[in-house]
Amino acid sequence: MNPDRTARPAEPSSAIHLKGRTIPLAAGESVLEGLERAGIEAPSGCRAGTCCKCMLQGEDPPAMSQRSLRPTLRAQGFFLACQAYPIGTLELSSGEAPEPIDTVIQSVEAVAPDVARILLRPEDSFAFRPGQYLDVLHPSGALRSYSIASLPSDQVLELHVRRIANGLVSSWIHEQNEGQRVQIRGPFGQCFHVADDEQKRLLLVGAGTGLAPLLGIARDALEQGHKGSIKLVHGGLQPDRLYMRPQLSELAETWPNLEVEHCVLREATEQEHEGPLDQVAIRLAGSLENTRAFLCGDAEIVRLLQRSLFLAGISSAEMFADPFSPASP
Amino acid sequence: MTLYERLGGEPAFQAAVDDFYRRMLTDERVSRFFDNVDMDGQIAKQKAFLTYVTGGPAAYTGKDMRKAHEHLWSKGLGDEHVDVVIEHLGATLIDLGAKAEDVAEVAELAESVRKDVLGR
Ligand SMILES: Cc1cc2nc3c(=O)[nH]c(=O)nc-3n(C[C@H](O)[C@H](O)[C@H](O)COP(=O)(O)OP(=O)(O)OC[C@H]3O[C@@H](n4cnc5c(N)ncnc54)[C@H](O)[C@@H]3O)c2cc1C
Ligand code: HEM
Repeated sequence: MNPDRTARPAEPSSAIHLKGRTIPLAAGESVLEGLERAGIEAPSGCRAGTCCKCMLQGEDPPAMSQRSLRPTLRAQGFFLACQAYPIGTLELSSGEAPEPIDTVIQSVEAVAPDVARILLRPEDSFAFRPGQYLDVLHPSGALRSYSIASLPSDQVLELHVRRIANGLVSSWIHEQNEGQRVQIRGPFGQCFHVADDEQKRLLLVGAGTGLAPLLGIARDALEQGHKGSIKLVHGGLQPDRLYMRPQLSELAETWPNLEVEHCVLREATEQEHEGPLDQVAIRLAGSLENTRAFLCGDAEIVRLLQRSLFLAGISSAEMFADPFSPASP
Repeated sequence: MTLYERLGGEPAFQAAVDDFYRRMLTDERVSRFFDNVDMDGQIAKQKAFLTYVTGGPAAYTGKDMRKAHEHLWSKGLGDEHVDVVIEHLGATLIDLGAKAEDVAEVAELAESVRKDVLGR
């Protein structure tokens, strides 16, 4: 039995509100039970707050129903429907994607042979957390996700886009010019900084354009006054793949608790470590005590990083991963 | 009081599930069943597993157990794998502070769903 449920007197005014419909909850009835009774399809599993299959998003859900979720999910109003006994009316998110908005290209700058740094100026308000991603809408209707490297206070959205051979959207965006319009929608994603412990060590590891979200996360944490050490390890095949080094050095000089390291698989100079990114990152991290990891870049390398860091001792609850999976056709 | 409660409930299980899942991933007898791409999802499910077998709040039926494992049958899931799971489960629980008789009780519960897990 849920203690919350037995301790509280009947709450006749409890209800959920979804897409214009109000569903009153009986005393002691969870959001999941209410949805099911109303004939609304809702996934579920253990019904006891462990399997997380019944996760939904809403406005200010009861704290009990968010207890076992990651801080990034909690910050966005996710909760477990089987554990939610709201007081008053709980507004549920419709689960529909946000409307697209217009942006204007401010610049397209080549920062590596195949990577462009693109600055977009949104024409509407666009609230996001650095490290989240947005979808770019191609004129054909195709959507591709790109991570945000800038902060809301920059007033621009900074993206790092790698040109994929025969890639529809990445090639197209590389060919756009200043002043052109691009539609985006979002934001999405769970890979961002939450200031729940300013002493935590942050380990940011990414390959290729995985640098984009990591740069956003590092800057966000620093601006929010993070005190613990922040180690950013950027990996690539060979030294010329590692882009924006001057900007990273400057950032590390400005903030004493930030360290930036470079890692390549081959042809390392004095400026880079050589070896597999997961092994180099674990070595450079030193202690993994009280560490939170952010892992971004191509899906395959992110999964390797996730597994290696987990086996090296980082808690699963402290790993935030953003695999750049190719769009499904 | 259930073993789940005696061992510290949800907060204690957060660390235990990591320990259990590390054991599964590094044991080559069973690791191939766990190389699912979504690690967060796997962790949540293994936590549900630990909660269930220690008598915690997790409402699974035999039918649910069949459904949760049916995609593993074609990968050759068999008795020997259930034995490995029970072995690591015992080690994890002992580390968490369980006594030998608790472990025996949990193993018994796991045994009771063996036929469902294996789809017999
Ligand atoms: C959450 C998320 C965040 C992302 N963030 C970024 C980012 O910040 N920067 C960035 O550059 N990309 C990012 N991506 C990847 C991006 O969304 C696109 O998948 C990528 O730009 C390719 O799109 P495309 O239209 O050019 O290629 P498509 O037309 O979709 O693909 C063309 C061909 O290339 C293959 N292909 C696709 N991706 C790759 C790849 N990475 N390596 C090799 N072959 C590939 C496809 O399978 C296909 O055969 C992210 C993806 C996700 C899911
Ligand atoms: C000993 C008895 C066992 C019990 C009681 C048990 C219990 C469970 C439970 C409760 C879940 C979560 C189900 C859900 O909510 O979706 C689960 C999932 C899973 N179990 Fe078991 N399990 C057992 C044996 C095994 C064995 C022997 C293997 C393989 C070696 C295994 C592999 C898995 C995997 C891979 C999943 C996740 C499936 C998915 O990704 O959907 N289990 N198990």
